[in-house]
Amino acid sequence: MTKKDFFALLDELLENDPGTIRGGEALAGMARWDSLAVIGFIALLDQHFALSVPAVRIMDCKTVDDLAALVGDKVTG
Amino acid sequence: MPSFSIPGVRITGIASVVPGERVAVKAASAVAPDDFAKVVASTGVVGRHIAPAEVCTSDLCASAAEQLLAQVGWDRSSIDLLIFVTQTPDFVLPATACSLHGRLRLAKSCGAFDLNLGCSGYVYGVSVAAAHLNSGAASRVLLLVGDTISKVVSPQDRSVAYLFGDAGTATLLEKSPTGAAMHFVTGSDGHGSGHLQIPAGMFRTPSREETRMARQRDGGNVRSDEQLFMNGPEIFNFTLREVPPLIEGALKQAGWQRETVDGFVLHQANRFMLDYLAKRMKLSPERVVLALENFGNTSSASIPLAICSRLHERLPQGPARLVLAGFGVGFSWAAAAIEFDQPVIAPVAHL
Repeated sequence: MTKKDFFALLDELLENDPGTIRGGEALAGMARWDSLAVIGFIALLDQHFALSVPAVRIMDCKTVDDLAALVGDKVTG
Repeated sequence: MPSFSIPGVRITGIASVVPGERVAVKAASAVAPDDFAKVVASTGVVGRHIAPAEVCTSDLCASAAEQLLAQVGWDRSSIDLLIFVTQTPDFVLPATACSLHGRLRLAKSCGAFDLNLGCSGYVYGVSVAAAHLNSGAASRVLLLVGDTISKVVSPQDRSVAYLFGDAGTATLLEKSPTGAAMHFVTGSDGHGSGHLQIPAGMFRTPSREETRMARQRDGGNVRSDEQLFMNGPEIFNFTLREVPPLIEGALKQAGWQRETVDGFVLHQANRFMLDYLAKRMKLSPERVVLALENFGNTSSASIPLAICSRLHERLPQGPARLVLAGFGVGFSWAAAAIEFDQPVIAPVAHL
């Protein structure tokens, strides 16, 4: 998956307008990034990447790029 | 995970009782309306039944037991064993099962003990009851399962405030030499014990002024250390890891194909989780029993409550294959594949 597609999934999860997330955004500034969004992100990782990441590692992420890094080389570009 | 089958037993009947009137879920004053709406959409809980201060889990279970005994028509002196499954007992000691034994006027030859389990507790309770029946230790068992989790929830903690309801249930089991075997899978992961916990108030961390004081936590939630803490994201991770193989294991132990199952009754944790698990396991939505909307997550009671709420007309009509799966606090999990043979299923009653 490309980073652009990954950000599109994040936009959908956070109910943003398409193209809102472009990378580098701070999660702390996003009102919709909360514990429910973390649960939705865990489902996203499971559904699209068959990946399980400890919740504490997700909650330690500071930016959307940090979230993308959790997926490793399954997100490119 | 241990898998085992127990022949020669049956579930004769199930009854469930909830407190008083249904109460609509309402936001605490400190919570923004948008935030509240989002949480409710995720949990799927619109209303629930909350026990008043003077009503304990044992009261709900005793009422369910009286109702079920009257419907099934058993002489109460024929019951050999009472098992009470809860995490909200009347006292630290004695076992609430003993006081329930007295209230229900059971015979002195009837054993009684508590099991301290939550979300997985009903399936564990059925397995323990079935093992006693199969071994000859008992001929008839009264299994009481319930919780009043609302009593330990902070209304200012959005991770739990709108989710939990209260309920008590009764299940009668007996020997049935010709009945189909019950099939079980059980498991635990104690490394998860801190993710769903009341941290203080018992012997490890006794109650003191500091543990009783409500404090602001991550995400703006406010609770004391004597109230329920739930790490929702980590519990969701655990559920995705353990529940699909749990249900596959129960099907394999029973030798059933999923298409031949009449209903999957999972612990009613929350709507988002149940919908995602059903999708992940490719279960037909019409076979996944949902009873959250009007009762919330009722902890150990959620599986029998869902059966009484959604299947009280179907089950008495003819044989039905159900897969029951409880999972959560502990972490602890258990599933059962049971062929129900026209039990008495009472519709949900109110205390």
